[in-house]
Formats: sequence, C-alpha cells, structure tokens
Amino acid sequence: MAGTGKAHLRPQGEAILRVEDLVVEFPVGRTGLKVNAVSGISFDVLRGETLGIVGESGCGKSTTGRAIMQLPRPTSGSIVFEGTELTTLSGDAMREARTKIQMIFQDPISSLNPRRKVREIVLEPLAIWKRGTDAEQGAVVDRVLEDVGIDPQRAAESQPHQFSGGQCQRISIARSLVLDPEMIICDEPVSALDVSVQAQVLNLLEDLKRQYGLTMIFIAHDLAVVKNISDRVAVMYLGKFCEVASSDALYARPAHPYTNVLLSSIPVPDPEVGFRGAAVEGEPPSPVNPPAGCRFNPRCPNAQDRCRTEEPAIREIGPGHFVACHFPLHGGEAPVSVRV
Amino acid sequence: MTTQAENRVETGTLIEVRALKTHFQTPRGVVRAVDGVDLTIERGKSLGIVGESGSGKTILSRSIMGLLPRYGTIREGSVSFQGQELIDRSPKEMRGIWGREMAMIFQDPMTSLNPLMKIGKQISEPLMAHLGMDRSSAWETAEKLLRDVRIPEAGRRLSQYPHEMSGGMRQRVMIAIALACGPTMLFADEPTTALDVTVQAQILQLINEQRRERNMSLILVTHDLGVVAGNTDEIAVMYGGKIVEKAPTRTLFAHMKMPYTEALLQSIPKMDQPSHSRLAVIPGRPPDLVNPPAGCRFAPRCAYARERCQVEEPQLVAAESPQHVYACFYPVGSPEYLERKVELSRRTDTNQGGR
Amino acid sequence: MMTFLKKIRRLHPTTLFASLWLGALTFLAIFAPVLPFVRGYGERVKGAGRFKFGPGADFLFGSDALGRDMFARCVYGAQISLRVAASSIIVGLLIGGSLGLAAGYLRGWIDRVVSILVDILLAFPALIISILIVGRFDVLQANNEAFGWLTRTWSITFVLSLLSIAPIARIVRAQTLSLSQREFVLAARSLGAKNGRVIFREILPNLIPAMTSVVFTGIAILLVSEGGLAFLGYSIKPPSPSWGLLVSENRERLQEAWWATIFPCIMLFVTVLAFNIIGDRVARRFDIREAAL
Repeated sequence: MAGTGKAHLRPQGEAILRVEDLVVEFPVGRTGLKVNAVSGISFDVLRGETLGIVGESGCGKSTTGRAIMQLPRPTSGSIVFEGTELTTLSGDAMREARTKIQMIFQDPISSLNPRRKVREIVLEPLAIWKRGTDAEQGAVVDRVLEDVGIDPQRAAESQPHQFSGGQCQRISIARSLVLDPEMIICDEPVSALDVSVQAQVLNLLEDLKRQYGLTMIFIAHDLAVVKNISDRVAVMYLGKFCEVASSDALYARPAHPYTNVLLSSIPVPDPEVGFRGAAVEGEPPSPVNPPAGCRFNPRCPNAQDRCRTEEPAIREIGPGHFVACHFPLHGGEAPVSVRV
Repeated sequence: MTTQAENRVETGTLIEVRALKTHFQTPRGVVRAVDGVDLTIERGKSLGIVGESGSGKTILSRSIMGLLPRYGTIREGSVSFQGQELIDRSPKEMRGIWGREMAMIFQDPMTSLNPLMKIGKQISEPLMAHLGMDRSSAWETAEKLLRDVRIPEAGRRLSQYPHEMSGGMRQRVMIAIALACGPTMLFADEPTTALDVTVQAQILQLINEQRRERNMSLILVTHDLGVVAGNTDEIAVMYGGKIVEKAPTRTLFAHMKMPYTEALLQSIPKMDQPSHSRLAVIPGRPPDLVNPPAGCRFAPRCAYARERCQVEEPQLVAAESPQHVYACFYPVGSPEYLERKVELSRRTDTNQGGR
Repeated sequence: MMTFLKKIRRLHPTTLFASLWLGALTFLAIFAPVLPFVRGYGERVKGAGRFKFGPGADFLFGSDALGRDMFARCVYGAQISLRVAASSIIVGLLIGGSLGLAAGYLRGWIDRVVSILVDILLAFPALIISILIVGRFDVLQANNEAFGWLTRTWSITFVLSLLSIAPIARIVRAQTLSLSQREFVLAARSLGAKNGRVIFREILPNLIPAMTSVVFTGIAILLVSEGGLAFLGYSIKPPSPSWGLLVSENRERLQEAWWATIFPCIMLFVTVLAFNIIGDRVARRFDIREAAL
C-alpha cells in the first residue's frame, strides 16, 4: 500500500478538503525511535460527502482526524481546506479556521468538562468567538439543543455526569454545531455506546448532516457502522490506505485482501451464516517497525515475493474504486511501476 | 479435591439456576440488578446472554459464580452446580470450585492480569494451588497451555510481563489461566468487546475449539447479537434484570417473539444493507433498576405496548416449542402486534411524505 | 432548611464532629475579644498564680504559673496558630499552584525549570531551614531599622509558606498533567480557545477539589510544624500564646499542674485531626465523582 498514490483524488479544486502526502510521526520517548502513525496518505472529500475511514486500532485513523485539525501539527504533508493551506497557518489564523472544522470524540463523558453545566459547555464556542449578543447566543444554543434532542432547561441546570452516554454524545454534537461549521470529523463517536443508542446517534448524525449542510469524515473500526453512514470508504492499515471505494462497492466487491479479512471477521447476526472462523492470523505489527514492501504482506493470504519488496501504488480498478495491492482480489495484477 | 473430579458429570445438567435475585444496597436505594432468573446449562453446551448495559447480564454471570462482594449484596434463590447448592457458600468454600470447576474470562485484558507478575507465574498459580503441582511441572504445563492458546514462542513468553504483550495476546493468556485446571464451566464476560474485529474472530475461534476439546460448558455474555449468533447453542435475552426471551439460537433468530429482541436486531447496521439505510431506533433509556416501572419493564420504550403492558408484568410462557420461552402479552406475530405495525408504517409513510 | 438538616444527618459522624469542632474553634477564635467568658490571654488573675486552680467552673482549663486563664490562652492560641497556618497555606497555594499549573499545562522548558526548582526546595531539610531563617530574620530585625516590622509572626509565615510551595506545586502539576490529556481539553482547543481560556475555564475548575483537600490537610500539617517550632522556641514570642509555646512553657510542671500542658496538647491534637478528617472527606467525595464518570 503506498500513500504516494493519488490516483483516487479528484481534480484539483472540486473538493472541500484535500489532503496530500500526510505524514505523522511521534517520537518514542528518548530512544530515537519513532511511531509511524500515518505514513503518507492522500485523500479528498467533496462538499456534502461523508468519507468513512475504517481500520483497526493502531492503523492511524484517529491520528489522521486530529492531524487535519492540526492537533498536533503533522510531520509533513499538505492539508487544503476550502482553498487554504492549513499546515502553514499561524496560531491565530489556525484557531479561526478551526471554527469551520469541528470534531466529535469517542468517549462522550470525557469530552465534556465535568464541572460545568451542559448549556454552558454548548455555549462556550460562541462565547470564545463572541458571536452575537447574549440573547442571540442563547437562542442558537437552545435551538441546537432541541435539534439534538436535549431539553435546554435541563441542560441549563445539569452537569454531564447526570446524563447518559448517548445524551452526552448528543451534547458533544450540539457543541460542535453552534458555530455552524462546514465539516465535522467524527472520531469513533458511537464505539462507546450501546447498540440501541448507537442507532439513535447515527440517525441523528444523518439528519443533522442534511439539515446543516455538513461534510463529514467518519472514523471508526466497525465496518458495518461506517458503511451505513458513509458515501465513500477508505480502509486503513498501519498508516497507509489499502482501498478506497463507495461504501456499497466496497462491500459488494472488496478488492484488497485486508478489506476481505475485515469483512469476513465481522460477526453476522444470523445463525445460518454462523461463525466463519478467524480470517487471518496474528496481529498488526508495531508502527515503530513497519514491514518493508506492502505493510500487510506478513499476514496476507495472497502475499508473494513482489509484495515483500515493493510497495504497491493506489490504482483504479473500477469506476471510483481504488486499491493499493499488487494482486487484488479483482482488477488484475498491478503493472510494473515506474520509479515513484 | 480429587473427589470433585471423580464426581464430574460428562453429560446432563451442570448448572441449574432458580429464581436468582441479586440486589445491591446503594445510597439511592436497592438496585435490583438481577430480579428473578431461571437457567439451566448442560455439560458441553453454550449459552449466550445478550443485553445492553444495565440489563444485568454481567451481574448475572458473576452472581452465578459467586464473585460479588459480600458487603451490600443480597442474593436470593438457588444456584446448584453438579447437584450442590452454591448460593449460601462463603468465599472460602467457593475457592475450591473457582478455577477448578468454574472459571471466568473478563472483558478488559489490560486490567485483568496482574501487571507486576510474570505470565508464567500467573498461569502456574492455579495449577499449584488447585492441582498441587510443583513449580517445574506447573511451569511446563503453563507453556503447553500457552501453545494451546496459539501464542507463538510460548517458552519465551512465560517470563514476560503483561505490558509487553498486545491486547489480543493478553486475552489469550487470560484464557490459558482460565483453562489451566480444566474447569467444566467457562464464563466469558464480553471477552472480545475490547479487541479489534480480526482479533475478536481469532479469540472466538479459540474459545470454540477449547470448548469442544474439553467438553466445557460456556456462558457467553455480550451485547453483540452477531457474536452469539455463531457461537452459542442457546440464547437468553436480558432486559431490566430479567430474562425476557430464551430459545435455541436458530429458533430465536428465526422466530423471535419479544419486540425487544426484534428491535435490537433491527437497530444494528448490517453489511448487506445499502448505505444510508435508516436504522430502527429504540427510543428512551434502560429502566431505573431502583424503581423499575410497573408492568413490563420494556413497556415505556416498546412501540407495541398497550395498557395491559403498563400494569401487569408478563411471565415467561412457552412458544411453539417448550425450549423457547418469552415474556410478552403481544408478541411478534400476534394480531395486536400486526395491527400496531400497520399503524406505525402508515405513520412513517406520512412523515416521510411530508419531508 | 429541611434539606440542609437532611444533609447534616447523612454526614458520617466523624465528619460531623470535625466540622462542629472547627466551627466552634473558629467562632471562639474570631470573637474571643468580645466573649464574656474569655479573659484576656495575658490577664493575670489575683490569687490564681502558681497553678492555684485546676480545671473547674471558673477556670475551664485551670490557671498557670502567673495566674493566667489557660482556656483563654488556648483560645487565643487558636487564633494565632490558625492565622499563621492558613495564611501560609494560601501563599503556598498561590505560588506553588501557579507554578504547578504552568508546568503541567505548558510543559516544555517551563516544566523543566519548575521541576528543578521544586526538587531543590524539597531537598532542604525543613527543620534546619526554618531555624536558620527565623534566626537570621531575628538578627535582621534587631539590627536593621528598615526591618523593624519583621516580627516572628512574619518570619514564621514566610518560612511555612516557603515550605508549602514545593509539595503543592508537585500535586498541582500532576493533576494538571492528567487533566490536560482529557478529551474536553482537546475539545476546547479544537474550538479555538486560547491557552489562557483553557486554563481558567477548563483546567482550573477541575483542580478545585484537589486543591481544597490540599488546603485542609496542609493546614493540619502546618499547625503541627508551627507547634514544633514553637516548642523549640522558634515561633512567635511569649506572651503570645501559640499552642506549641503553651505546650513547652509548662512542661516541667507536668506532675503538679498537668492541665497547663495537657489541654493545649489536646487542642492541637483534636484540631489537627479535624482538619485531616475534613481534608480526607473532601478528597474522597470528589474522587468518587470522578470515578463515576
């Protein structure tokens, strides 16, 4: 899988967000080693689209989301949002840009200040940016709280720990909406919630997306959830992209062996299908020392010599369907690549 | 305790639970976490207990095993294991059974292993304590167990500490510890929830293999209907501290009776649905276990509830086959259910038309 | 009112006792000059000298060698000791707290400088430093016109404040570090909040429970420290009746006039215990709330 591949990017200027060659590395203490969390990925998101990024723990998907927000600044790469390059923005200009991109986090209760009243928490962004008079701010907050299904009166009197996990997540969502952003990055927003609450929040996100005209990046490890809410899905493994396709196409005809492994591992609530067994052995290697060549090769059932030495480039194998693999499940063997 | 091993049943009923209640004293009142549960587990069979948080499923498994703190806990009913009554045994008396006959695997492998003890020592301890092995044979057996749970380089791993291993591997170690003394009953409390989906499949496969090899019974507690669909013989669905439906796995999915079970199944996004499918939602929140609602505990959230459901609590009744029981006045497929369903679809049609 | 009484009843008996004790003590300490049953601490009553009176109706804690009322002296002792301990802990909190907060949130070189400073402060043996500083300030006051105001009260407060800075900085730094990792801080930054706002609106409110507990437990520790220094003669000079001084004053007469020593001891002991109980309760109450999250 190569991040240097950009075959899946759409023509310059069409997308609201365009990320190229994003690299994020963290030093490991003072050992001189570094964690290669994200190793050169590129992607774009059209206005109004929902891009899902899916992968297991350690693949770098959360880091990608945070890197877009510059929290922290990526090691290298370009992130262009609505025509502005984010990586070179000064502190103040970056803070301003952040009002247009908001983020929702995984742990609903930990993302809210436990000592403050909920309504205050949702009001905070407006207070920071001094948008409108007190009365106007109050009106916006009340409206947004109602949109997410939280009683504004109760919000004014209660603290986060008095609400359930699902309600806290709604409050988080409300907070991210008050500034009327263009794009929302959701980092595992439903992973910590019960199944029935998860459904409520997912439906809510869909409704709000339509209502507020949002673009979304949805990061999760649950492929079924990602498929449900996304238009397009990118599968990530150990800091690189494996496959990018529309969600229906990804499920119907997965091309990358890893995507196939993910799909086969998902337990299906149907006893006729039953348990299909473990699709792959072992666990992802450490991002400190990623394998050479294609990063999935040590565990890939189809791996061959070429995979151990040469990193595959992303290429198109069907309309809107891209894969980074030398021997994908369909689409033919990758041509011998010219020096990238 | 070799006499226990000699008395082991190879088939037939292993555990029988009757009217089990587990209540906790809290400043807010008495929390009725488990409020009258009946279960039977046969040797070599697996039972899945499915429910959301607050349903009481975790408390149930720990209560059966007797692992709850004594202070502030009220247990009533009967739990009999191989014919012996366990409910009023002290922890001291239970220690002969824990590890030896019954073992539990917990959800979070990071916190369930002692961070300061080598893996080998943690596996050897039950061997030495219960089976009276000496240190070297226990160590050897520990290595064999690590190989059984498919940990590569087993010998080297014995001297490692938990933090040197990944989540999936720690879970395998926990399984090894649980299996060490060859128990007949294994409790798995959300064993894969904290793991990645590919590792989850590996762990489930491992549990299945070991279970079949050792003819162990399994109680698998989870919120994931997908996990129980492929890994259990029977499923019990819990809500508000009670079992609301219980059936052999195939029967449950094919002929579910409780609207709750149906709603739960419908709220899961499935891979074969097209993207942007609207998920069926169960409105509201789990019931307050200190003051559970009168009547059916699911009624406040049930789309098919009627007046009777608010005042009278439904008891478990049998469906077509006696092994399938459910607690509902207007189950799936009943005339009242179908009537309401038509009403609801008419309503959503007008809603969507109006959008 | 009813809910207040209900809350009182739900309190643990030890907490209730500790609060009542401290409440009574504070009341006595503040209103001592105007309370009819409290004599002046220096007032010598004729005929009560030479430990004439043991504990009784008139002299609650008995009288001392010079006929002074031990009870009055204990009450004024409370005033003095509490004032010194409280002001020292507040100063320690302001300075140590700010250092810890800056170090824990901003990290980098600030963190390194503060940590080294704290390590240095902690390395000094407390008793020796106290004695040295108090001694030095004595000399300074005696010989230098400009330092005439530098009474023992000021010296002791200075020393105790200095000794509180390092431990408090450590505690606040640790708390700030852990709070900074929490997602709501990240959320605030992602909303565009500046550092100052994040520190004051997100971090500081969450530090208050820990700091409150530190204040109470800290006062307890400082009361003991002051008592120790007074015992050695390095605290506020007589006739000011700080508790430590009272204990040391009449200890040779323990045989015949036990009340003159035992009662100040009891006062000190119970007060320190009360502060510790409250400090512990506050810590535990807010801990549980955190755990519930």
